[in-house]
Amino acid sequence: MKTFTHINADSVAEAVKLLAQYQGRAKLNAGGTDLLGVLKDRILPDYPEALINIKTIPELSGVAEDEKTITIGALTILADLSAAPLIEKYCPLLKEAVDTVAAPQIRNVATIGGNLCQDTRCWYYRYPDEIGGMIQCLRKGGKTCPAVVGENQYHAIMGAKKCFAVSPSDTAVALTALDATVTLAGGSGTRTLPVEELYTPLGNVLNPDELVTAIYIPKPAPAAKQNFIKFTLRKPIDFAIVSVASLTTLEQGICTAARIVLGAVAYTPVRAREAEKFLTGKELTEETASEAAELALAGAKPLAKNAYKLEIAKTLVKRALLGQ
Amino acid sequence: MTSMPEKTTHSIITLTVNGDEHAFILGEGAHQVSPSHTLAHTLRETLGLTGTKISCDRGACGCCTVLMDGKAVLSCMLLTVECAGKQITTIEGLGDPATGAIDRLQQSFIDHTAFQCGFCTPGIIMSAKALLNQNPSPTREEVQAALAGNFCRCISHYHVLDAVLDAAQKGDPE
Ligand SMILES: Cc1cc2nc3c(=O)[nH]c(=O)nc-3n(C[C@H](O)[C@H](O)[C@H](O)COP(=O)(O)OP(=O)(O)OC[C@H]3O[C@@H](n4cnc5c(N)ncnc54)[C@H](O)[C@@H]3O)c2cc1C
Ligand code: SF4
Ligand code: FES
Ligand code: FES
Repeated sequence: MKTFTHINADSVAEAVKLLAQYQGRAKLNAGGTDLLGVLKDRILPDYPEALINIKTIPELSGVAEDEKTITIGALTILADLSAAPLIEKYCPLLKEAVDTVAAPQIRNVATIGGNLCQDTRCWYYRYPDEIGGMIQCLRKGGKTCPAVVGENQYHAIMGAKKCFAVSPSDTAVALTALDATVTLAGGSGTRTLPVEELYTPLGNVLNPDELVTAIYIPKPAPAAKQNFIKFTLRKPIDFAIVSVASLTTLEQGICTAARIVLGAVAYTPVRAREAEKFLTGKELTEETASEAAELALAGAKPLAKNAYKLEIAKTLVKRALLGQ
Repeated sequence: MTSMPEKTTHSIITLTVNGDEHAFILGEGAHQVSPSHTLAHTLRETLGLTGTKISCDRGACGCCTVLMDGKAVLSCMLLTVECAGKQITTIEGLGDPATGAIDRLQQSFIDHTAFQCGFCTPGIIMSAKALLNQNPSPTREEVQAALAGNFCRCISHYHVLDAVLDAAQKGDPE
């Protein structure tokens, strides 16, 4: 790896100050399980001058609760999150999602903040510089997207205009289903927004001097059934082809509330609002679940090689709703 | 370059590897540890502990697995500078340094011929060690889950499961 200046940040304020001083030429390092791969392959046009280690900020890890909310520090390690009794009790679907991330050794160091902010896995974007040069695609400020006419079997099936890369984060899918928000700290103070609004077609909404400090999950209704299903080519060490997270509340067989979120189909986790609306007030059966699955994928526009993702997504929606 | 921060927080770092404390000078000189060096690099190239293998160097195979404060981690995805103050155990640190006797987990891999080329073996043994330290009598499923991040190109997985379960059964409380 090409070298860089390395700085341990002791506080959020210091990390923000350093980010501002470096004006986009520094990167935050949390667990490093995504960033080190990005640096080793030199996939970005600008190699960072400095790495700011944020693991040295003490107050950013841990899981806590108050009456209505679960709070997760951005530096909470995935393995610790999975083992946290509060998560198991209130957000089993988040635990399920976390347990599908990568492999045990990665979950022992990777953080939830890093999971949310990880870079896309589009294989053109990730193409290593040392094998014939990095690919300067649209997402890196280039002019074209080689995926749109190329090998796009793992790319977006909805919501894409110029870049067809998908959000690789499994926890973002779970957190969107749980209606979670994130707090960002930056030079001009802090702001809180839904996880659903964290991503943009070419990245995320973070300003160059911002970092994620915490995640808030409103405690879901105890009666809500939670499910997370991830389809991969092999079980461990693999990203989602498609994933689905769902929360459904049933009263005497009638669905009184539903949240359905699709992962790895677009640049952001996608809420299937039409499907949610359709299910509310209906009995949850094979038929209504199938209908909801159709509605969830109604807006899809697959590329030449990824129409198969549609069928997988529909099947996962149905299974998630029926708890199969 | 504009307004560079003055803070240079560390010039010497120490970490404990297999019980021995090592101090490293940070820098780009010949015998120094660069901030961009991974733990895997430092173990192999600076300390000569070549039992830890580097295969993918991208976090995807588990060959470089070591223990950090008792937990299985990938040494190719950690910066040495960020391991300051940590306790690292590598495959060389198993067994008894005084007598040279190997760990019963290592013996069990030999008894079960739980490898072919052997390149993945140090990483697998370290993942298995982390599991047994935490859970001395795991089920087959628990062993599978703990070793899910270790890729074996020679398909020795089935022998590996037998070796780990056998070692667990023979384990006297240490
Ligand atoms: C082999 C392999 C398999 C993987 N499989 C999966 C998978 O199945 N599912 C999945 O979701 N992920 C997967 N990942 C991706 C990823 O490494 C992890 O999910 C991990 O959670 C990233 O966290 P980290 O703390 O290591 O991030 P880092 O590498 O430290 O950071 C990632 C990015 O986020 C930024 N960042 C980190 N923390 C913050 C913060 N608090 N605020 C703002 N920016 C921040 C960093 O600057 C960097 O750009 C995989 C990675 C590998 C190598
Ligand atoms: S899909 Fe996006 S990241 Fe991938 S090549 Fe096209 S523009 Fe680049
Ligand atoms: S060499 Fe570290 S995971 Fe492959
Ligand atoms: S024994 Fe050859 S890679 Fe596992």
